[in-house]
Amino acid sequence: MEDKKLTEKESLELISQMICNTRNRMEDNKGIPFLIWGYSTVIVALTVWYMVTTTQNYYWQWLWFGIPTLSYIAWLIFNANKKKKENPHVKTFVDRVIGHVWMVFGISGFLVSIMAIIYRMPILFIILLTMGMATAITGLIIRFKPVAISGFLGMALSLLCFVVQGTDSILVFAGAFILMMVIPGHILNNTSRKR
Amino acid sequence: MFKELNPLLHSELRLGIISLLISVEEADFVYIRQQTGATAGNLSIQIDKLNNAGYVEVTKSFKGKMPCTTCRITPAGIDAFEEYVDALKSYIVK
Repeated sequence: MEDKKLTEKESLELISQMICNTRNRMEDNKGIPFLIWGYSTVIVALTVWYMVTTTQNYYWQWLWFGIPTLSYIAWLIFNANKKKKENPHVKTFVDRVIGHVWMVFGISGFLVSIMAIIYRMPILFIILLTMGMATAITGLIIRFKPVAISGFLGMALSLLCFVVQGTDSILVFAGAFILMMVIPGHILNNTSRKR
Repeated sequence: MFKELNPLLHSELRLGIISLLISVEEADFVYIRQQTGATAGNLSIQIDKLNNAGYVEVTKSFKGKMPCTTCRITPAGIDAFEEYVDALKSYIVK
């Protein structure tokens, strides 16, 4: 494009082309947040399950708070690699809405986790249900069926935490996160790379 | 009766920038350059003109050690764009 005058027809074509380009845009590695949080949760959940079942020491449950730490480290590593090449940045209304959805669900998940230290509550069920809701909402907003379906699947699987009792419910939790975040994260990444 | 088209927006690159920013919350210089295919120098001049007119807000920051220029359309820019589109409509043959 140059600094040249346009005819009225060219102006209209340019406006629609620019708006269309942005609407159809899908960033590379769009599934990275799902993969980072998904893998971190699965790794920590399996570690907690293994340590608690082998040692019978419930202090290993404190490891759950390692999920945000592990995710943060993974995020820093991903960003450090990303900065090596020229990366365009654009933020749409949809990006802002999704950011706010996860902020609200993330804060509520964190508050419930803190309360679970003091009061007895089905914490795995609550976290799985809320994260499933956030995933389903994200999928519906971005109109990407695999993410929306896996979110609803996560919500349904949260009920299994009542069926499978005791420490083994952690395995249900880890399995649900693989279905709800890891698999759709990879699908999302592959789809954004193909576009 | 034909309405007068805003001369600031009636240029290919400036209209491209505004049309792009109208549909996003914010975009950086690299993204705008990729989408418009303009040279960095020319793009910088046109963004400055839009910034001076109060149509675009420019924020300069750093991503690590790399400078980063982020642009977002202002309410005045949205009004100007809407007026421009309204004026364009008067040129469409009924």
